[in-house]
Amino acid sequence: MTEQNKPYEEDNYTHNIHRNRERTLDRRGFMKTMVGAAGVFAVSSLPWGGVAARELWNFADDEDERQKIANVTDVPVGESFDFTYPTEHDSALLIRLAENDYVAYQNACTHLQCPVFWEKESWEMICPCHHGYFSAETGEPTGGPPRRPLPEIELQVQDGTIYAVKVKRYEA
Amino acid sequence: MKRRLYIELENCIGCRACLAACTQCGGHEQRNRNYVYDINPFVDTQTMPLMCLHCEDPPCARSCPAQAIQIHESGAVLSAMAEKCIGCQNCTIACPYGIPKFDEEQNLMYKCDLCIDRTQYDIPPMCASVCPSNTLQWLTEEEIENKQRRHDLDNGKWVASMPPLENETNVKINLPGILQGTEKLF
Repeated sequence: MTEQNKPYEEDNYTHNIHRNRERTLDRRGFMKTMVGAAGVFAVSSLPWGGVAARELWNFADDEDERQKIANVTDVPVGESFDFTYPTEHDSALLIRLAENDYVAYQNACTHLQCPVFWEKESWEMICPCHHGYFSAETGEPTGGPPRRPLPEIELQVQDGTIYAVKVKRYEA
Repeated sequence: MKRRLYIELENCIGCRACLAACTQCGGHEQRNRNYVYDINPFVDTQTMPLMCLHCEDPPCARSCPAQAIQIHESGAVLSAMAEKCIGCQNCTIACPYGIPKFDEEQNLMYKCDLCIDRTQYDIPPMCASVCPSNTLQWLTEEEIENKQRRHDLDNGKWVASMPPLENETNVKINLPGILQGTEKLF
């Protein structure tokens, strides 16, 4: 019997009574489909595995570019200086805590990415959106909603010029 | 060449050779899958064979919750697949002709599958090949049409599965004249 001369419109695969279609959606076909899909997903996730391995085992020595921030004379002790590092979209904050003590953090708050600023009077970094507080010495959150430290930027001071060298890897 | 089973009920002499042949057929395990009825017992000797009519839209297959009854591409409605049949007997209830039989021991339905292992290679089904009175015949569409035309000329009241018995079937039946109140002229 052909499908055309059926007395009603029905192409219902859950009622698979044509023997030629026996293999189209039986239990074995369904299992094959599931295993095949799992295989496809497994293979398609390999690039992410590669990226993760590269990051975790330091196959990538992609040093951030050394970038000049400011001259020492531009930043008095206790003052801060805004810059962007490593790209122009990552705003960052340089703070001179003492004569020879400089720290720099990427200043997007780890709660909801508001820009964190330096409050000299309380000697703390403050996020104005939800009153998050960060320690200037370590970047650790000291109050408010944020739970993770700000990403720290390594610095070098040479010949009266401050350079950003790299963003430290976040250690959970 | 597509052939159909054609039942000329009036020829039946009640020898039950078709039952015996079905019983002996390979894979049937001594169980026959068709019937020979006494039409009017204690009154006359008229008998009629009846096997599955292999509906185009088989209620047995559509009522099966496990899709154990399948339709072969030739149109034959196959016996229940042993590995799928759950023994619910829905098909037995659904069939308007009372064809599917149920084996309590095996918990398995079985019915005529038009000897699909033979007919798919164009060998007549066992019952038709043994019938001594040409009640069961294995004919091409053309031969069936010729028969119908001939009978139409001889007897205006003759019908062959027309109008359809319950629905469209792959087995064609020439109803006996005794059921129609007419005599068939050869």
